[in-house]
Amino acid sequence: MAGKLYDVVVIGSGAGGGTLSARLAELGADVLVLEGGPKLNTRTDFNTHALPYEFPFRHVPVMKPGKPGMDGERSRGLGGKTQLWNAVALRFSQRDFKGRQHDGAGEDWPFDYADMKPYYDRIEQQVGVCGNYDHLEDLPDGIFLPPVPLKCTDRAIQVGAQKLGVPVIHVRKATLSQSRGTRPACHFCGNCMSGCDVLAKYNSYDVHMIPASRSGKLTLQHNSIVHELAVSDEAEVKEVRYFDRETRAEGAAQGRIVVVACACAQSIALLLMSKSSRFPTGLGNSSGQLGKNFIPHITAGFEAFLTDFIGKPPVNDEGFLDHAYIPSFMHERKRDYPRSFGVQFNYQNHRSVGWARSMKGMGKAYKQSIKDRYPAYMVFTGYHEMLPNKDTFIDLDPERVDEYGLPRARRSWKLSDDDWKLHNDMKKWCREILLASKAEILTVSQGPATNHEVGGCRIGTDPRTSVVNEFCRSHDVPNLYVVDASVFPSSSEKNPTLTIMALATRTADHIAEQLKGSPA
Amino acid sequence: MASYSSDRRSLLKIFGAIGATCAYPFASDELHGQTAPEHQHPIAAPKSEPQPRFFNKTDFAMVSRIADLIIPRTDSPGAIDADVPAYIDLVVARNTDQQLVVADGLRWLDTEADKISGKKFLELSEGEQLSILEPLCEAADTSTGLARGRNVQFFSLIKSLTADGYYTSRVGLIEELQYKGNAALPSFPPCTHEH
Repeated sequence: MAGKLYDVVVIGSGAGGGTLSARLAELGADVLVLEGGPKLNTRTDFNTHALPYEFPFRHVPVMKPGKPGMDGERSRGLGGKTQLWNAVALRFSQRDFKGRQHDGAGEDWPFDYADMKPYYDRIEQQVGVCGNYDHLEDLPDGIFLPPVPLKCTDRAIQVGAQKLGVPVIHVRKATLSQSRGTRPACHFCGNCMSGCDVLAKYNSYDVHMIPASRSGKLTLQHNSIVHELAVSDEAEVKEVRYFDRETRAEGAAQGRIVVVACACAQSIALLLMSKSSRFPTGLGNSSGQLGKNFIPHITAGFEAFLTDFIGKPPVNDEGFLDHAYIPSFMHERKRDYPRSFGVQFNYQNHRSVGWARSMKGMGKAYKQSIKDRYPAYMVFTGYHEMLPNKDTFIDLDPERVDEYGLPRARRSWKLSDDDWKLHNDMKKWCREILLASKAEILTVSQGPATNHEVGGCRIGTDPRTSVVNEFCRSHDVPNLYVVDASVFPSSSEKNPTLTIMALATRTADHIAEQLKGSPA
Repeated sequence: MASYSSDRRSLLKIFGAIGATCAYPFASDELHGQTAPEHQHPIAAPKSEPQPRFFNKTDFAMVSRIADLIIPRTDSPGAIDADVPAYIDLVVARNTDQQLVVADGLRWLDTEADKISGKKFLELSEGEQLSILEPLCEAADTSTGLARGRNVQFFSLIKSLTADGYYTSRVGLIEELQYKGNAALPSFPPCTHEH
């Protein structure tokens, strides 16, 4: 039990844990990162350049044969989901942090955009984000590398949307449009969600953690699945208990401060699993709010063909998946619901053609219609915010355990009437934009689907209605922090990752101050 | 890959491991009827003559014929050229639900063929075969889910597997569709058209 006492033990190595641990090591703290998954070689372990016909069942596995990783929520591998993300990097706006002030619904964050701006700046400078300076109120500009040109098919949407007064801008991504240091610019192979063999796309392991570990202050321990945080009589986390992913051998680590950064649902599950006489319903859950206020993004998806491109010769426009984005615009318009939506589109690469199943007919005409429409195919998906409600929460599945015998995180969700209004209006707008762009719609998703997981462990100033304070520190357990999208009090319609990273580096600065002020 | 559920407002949704799956609707290369992809190794040796693992000789010939009618050889290769029947065999061999649907569907085809001319399905002329299949195809295009009869489900399954097998093959993706991606570009070319 007399193991090394680290300044900080961080559980998880993705956008939250990776960014935070690198910053803490830079500030001189002695940091241990426990990652449930294996060590990876981003350059060689992923099937980044594979095509379906190389595999008998035509499914392209994320990892190359014999390479572990990304096989389960608890055991993804160093870098976590930043190895799989599409790198969309959007700042939240002042309105996103203060939605309640604007709409009278949902919850405000206890700080402003101005408080977060320096941390967004820092992260963007570290990772490299390409984008255009659009001067939008609801999507603040950052510090950008040059944007990547829109695809021809994006231009068709841009022209169509313009007729409706809807903006279409360059997407903002943490993928390099110019080389930086040892990382080359993107080569547009079009398979960004399966590693990135040249590291043009940001991942927390290669860009943040490996460089930070060179100082000797950052220790990365992979294959360590944390299953319990044990507390002392003083209500402090005294021990982080884990087992080895391969051997199942038990282990424990001690830190003066412990940071949970396992990605939304898994962080909540770990805290719910860490029951004690002091915290019988889960660690840091004196409020009973742990798992509540879960607010995932809700999507509606369309598949469509841009008629201008039907029958045109195919081109290589895989790019880095989507090059354009429709930012939130409903704040400016009359509407009968709170919050807003954005649209991501044209993010499907052209190496799988599942939509061919949905085409009508058979025989020569069927075959020809697919060939003609292949260059015209586009996916078009709206993402909207939802507000917290009592039926939308995360708990532990009472019946199902995962391959390690640990309870699974279970998500329950239900849209409120206001959420439905927003959802239906978003669908209406998506359809109108597509039709204005001369698209023929092939399929529309049957109902709302959840996406980016946000909330469940929210930030707040009132310990009765929130789980952590504005620095992501538990109201109940003074040496416990949570840093991922679970702490967001409201989700915005924007992809959460850049805000997770900015929040993580802000929290790291705060923790470093705390360490200075306390005896070693 | 997200799954889509009922539109009914009263429904409380409880679901499993979405966090582990793709954050983008339609963005995964999901394949019809394959629920648990194995950790696959790439195809090693060049293929020999396709030998069905699951279907018997007659059933395999019938499935091949239907696939051929769904995606025929035209001025470009068709389903047979792309070894689609072998793909269908591979997938169905792992799925007992599909095995039942296919077995029932093939028997039904022979029954219909017998009604038309006292022959087996494979002995019919192309026109006669299409006269049985095209109504199923039309019904599959205009109905979904439980509204589909058993034989429509059968046709829809074979069509889905044929489309998957063909357009994920080298023949379908590279020769037919002229896929040009997965190449390194020094820079992304801007659009130069008038829109």
